[in-house]
Amino acid sequence: MIDIVNDEYNYPKFAVVGHPNKGKSSIVSSLALDDSVQIGDTPGTTQVKRGFPLTVDGKVIYELFDTPGFQRARRILSWLKEQEPVSADKRPSVVARFIDEHREDKRYLDEIELLEPIINGAGIIYVVDASKPYGPEYEVEMEILRWTGQPSMAILNLIGNEDYRDEWKMALGQYFRLVRTFNPLKATFSDHMGLLESMAQLKEEWTVSIKVAIGVLNNLHQQKVEQSVDAIVSNIQSTLSYVYTQEIKAEKATKEEQDRAKEKYRQEIMAQEKKMEKEIEFIWNHRSIEKVDNLVIFEDIGLFSKESASIFGLSENELIITGASAGAVGGLSIDAAFGGGTLFLASIVGGIVGGVGAMVGFGNLYEVKILGKNLGKRELTVGPMKNLNFPYILLGRSLYHASVVAKRSHALREDIELEDEEFFTEQIVDSDTRKKLEKLHVKLRKGDEPSSEMIEEYHKIVLQSFLRLLR
Amino acid sequence: MQTKTNKLSITSYLDFAQLLEAYRGNHEENRLFALKYKSLDKNPIKMLLLWAKEHRFHLTQGLNSKAFVAYIGTTTQLLAFLFLLTGFLTGLGLLSYSGDAPVNITYYLFFAIVVPLLSMLFSLFTMFSRGGVAEFFSLFLSLHWLDKLVSFLPFESKKTFSKKVLLPDELTKWMMIERMQRISLLFSTGLVMALIFVVVVKDIAFGWSTTLDISASTFHSFISTIALFWKDILPSAVPSLELIEISQYFRLGERLDTELVANANQLGAWWQFLAMATVFYAIVLRFLFWIFSYYGYQKILQKELLSLDGVSTLLREFSTPFVSTEATQGEKHLPIVEENNLQVQNFVRKSYPNILGWNFSKDEILLANDSKEISYSTVASVGGSNTFSEDEDEAKSISKTALLYVKSWEPPTMDFVDFLELLIENKKVDTIHIYPLGTVGRYYESDAKDISVWKRKVQGLKSEKVWIIDD
Repeated sequence: MIDIVNDEYNYPKFAVVGHPNKGKSSIVSSLALDDSVQIGDTPGTTQVKRGFPLTVDGKVIYELFDTPGFQRARRILSWLKEQEPVSADKRPSVVARFIDEHREDKRYLDEIELLEPIINGAGIIYVVDASKPYGPEYEVEMEILRWTGQPSMAILNLIGNEDYRDEWKMALGQYFRLVRTFNPLKATFSDHMGLLESMAQLKEEWTVSIKVAIGVLNNLHQQKVEQSVDAIVSNIQSTLSYVYTQEIKAEKATKEEQDRAKEKYRQEIMAQEKKMEKEIEFIWNHRSIEKVDNLVIFEDIGLFSKESASIFGLSENELIITGASAGAVGGLSIDAAFGGGTLFLASIVGGIVGGVGAMVGFGNLYEVKILGKNLGKRELTVGPMKNLNFPYILLGRSLYHASVVAKRSHALREDIELEDEEFFTEQIVDSDTRKKLEKLHVKLRKGDEPSSEMIEEYHKIVLQSFLRLLR
Repeated sequence: MQTKTNKLSITSYLDFAQLLEAYRGNHEENRLFALKYKSLDKNPIKMLLLWAKEHRFHLTQGLNSKAFVAYIGTTTQLLAFLFLLTGFLTGLGLLSYSGDAPVNITYYLFFAIVVPLLSMLFSLFTMFSRGGVAEFFSLFLSLHWLDKLVSFLPFESKKTFSKKVLLPDELTKWMMIERMQRISLLFSTGLVMALIFVVVVKDIAFGWSTTLDISASTFHSFISTIALFWKDILPSAVPSLELIEISQYFRLGERLDTELVANANQLGAWWQFLAMATVFYAIVLRFLFWIFSYYGYQKILQKELLSLDGVSTLLREFSTPFVSTEATQGEKHLPIVEENNLQVQNFVRKSYPNILGWNFSKDEILLANDSKEISYSTVASVGGSNTFSEDEDEAKSISKTALLYVKSWEPPTMDFVDFLELLIENKKVDTIHIYPLGTVGRYYESDAKDISVWKRKVQGLKSEKVWIIDD
């Protein structure tokens, strides 16, 4: 026999129930921030109930149940009514008896799946499609739910373009304590919180838990915003300071070598952007987003390559300094040997000879081989990106992508199609923001490591832009 | 890896960095770990090292630190030995005494005081300079050159050093500085050893001489300043003015000052001062400087450990409650049947003997007939609020062809299928046309996807009597 009230599980539970194909799974997917829930046009997509607990460090705060739709509601109501007449307070026991007696009856599998959590104490969230007219056939389902005696609310889901909410409200108001409109495909974070507020009103004992859940979800949202900004800032840093280096044989790079290096550079920048986008999608729990590719365009962004040479990993200037220093230190030892009587002349001469020697010798040292290896190395480098507009294009794209992902309902299954580049840059990063951000861009372009204060300041500005986009 | 204190080693840093490359856990696991060691939440380094210890088994490949530590250890030991030897030999050289002329203490003081102070000054500049300036000063560190040399040679250690182990510049700098202090300490020890050895095995006459016009009293003040730190505890190690006066010599050809020769027996008294100068300036100060550099090295190790890619995420996961909203069990679905061999008719007849409306009232059926210009003999409402026996009677009373209106937006429930099977079982019925109608607001026009749902359901029944009208 099923316990009508199960004390073991005293956290609030809610069963999302209704007619088949009215968006129950969409609502659960949206509320549970889980885009893995199968949502289909085919009725009966959900065959067994699935629990979606909100847990904090393993402790359940509340649990949502996605359930199959009613299939043979008339037969169940008929069975309930055929039983010995009982007072209203005994009706839930009759429903529990129905479940017990028909557990093996394949005809009622769906109804048992949906009624079981309710009879175990779950609140009822009855979902209807208010874009279609009300029909009296729904009354059978609502009557069964009334027999369970559990607190209940109805959700008006607008799947289509028509709006029959008024007539639905008239009917639902007679069966449910609360009636709310919630479109899982368009629901924003505040809609989600609003619905939870409504759920908190269903039963006094649940209010505290649901308020806790609202707090937890608000914090989680804030953390996701912060993490997204971290990912964006980190990508800006690594992209703007990225330098592609390729070894070349001759003194000057060939056209092919230059083109190949530029292509490698582009590919790396694009790969970094894609990686950041995936990271942001992961942060917002969107594991199965498909995007129509809108890759960063490089046509208008000039890429410059530069040849450089080194010996022992030292550039010409470094080698001159090193030569001069070595000469000076050598000279100093001579000065020391003469007890300072040379008035540091040896140090000065040694420094000059070392520096000039390194300068003259630098050009001839490449070909010198030790153990079959050239002393010198010639390299072709592309980057860091010098284009002044590029950081803003990148930032605009990143912010826009992140805002689309953050606002996207987990019930949506369509691909994401992002706007073009001009939109990102002009709409998202205004001229005031540009001025503030430019300090860091300059630093990164030079290849210098920015201070943590500078990054923090940058992070703040990006966060403000992101929050603006989320409003 | 060390866990008892916060003292880090390069091994624990490298192992941790390698572990982060291979494994980072997930929020749930990491939070669980942090809750297990809640007492450590104010000590992130300790927590991280403990985490690394617990997950070390994920490092299935060889540890990079082994090769690196072996390389750097061997290099340091080699240099340590060389410096000790050089110190000893330098001492012997500086104190070489043939009996013809006294040993000039100014040479010795240069290596015992000036060189160590200069070297500490360079180290100090290197410590607190950044970028190019730091690179310049690091040129004076012998380990820097050894690193350059080894990375150039085609050894296996080169691969280990340059590809697998990429230490941050700042960490490399501090590691070298710290090691340089240890090595320099050995140089000074060699110097003291040489002094003691020479003093013991030889009778040396010390003197001082300079081309500069310095009087004995000026030199005495200078020497007293040098001896300031030990003059109270070891007055015998502070040369008197008289000793300074008698030990000044002027070389003119091969002849020495006669007074110097006359007081030759007192000239050995300098050794205590020289020993104390070496111990204090080259050993004690260096030791203090080493402590300071070790402290700085530890700070940088901690800073760089916290800056490793993935550490901020790890720390955030430690401190942030793990919130889960997702389902705990998998989903079960009905296989979706593809449409084939469908019994679809793309027109509706103008006349039917029987017209039924599933979940339609009689008035609604008449309205639909009127709108579709269909004539009829009998009209009946089924489903909705009808009882089963009423529906059963209706199904049995029908013969020949029946048109069954259904609401296209309401997917067929099993209740409907039960009724349809009653009609199919009725042998008097030869054809059943199911006509899905849209809402009145849309002039009964249905969505293609809704029709498709009905088609699939009818196909599943595998009855030749049932047809779907899709006009």
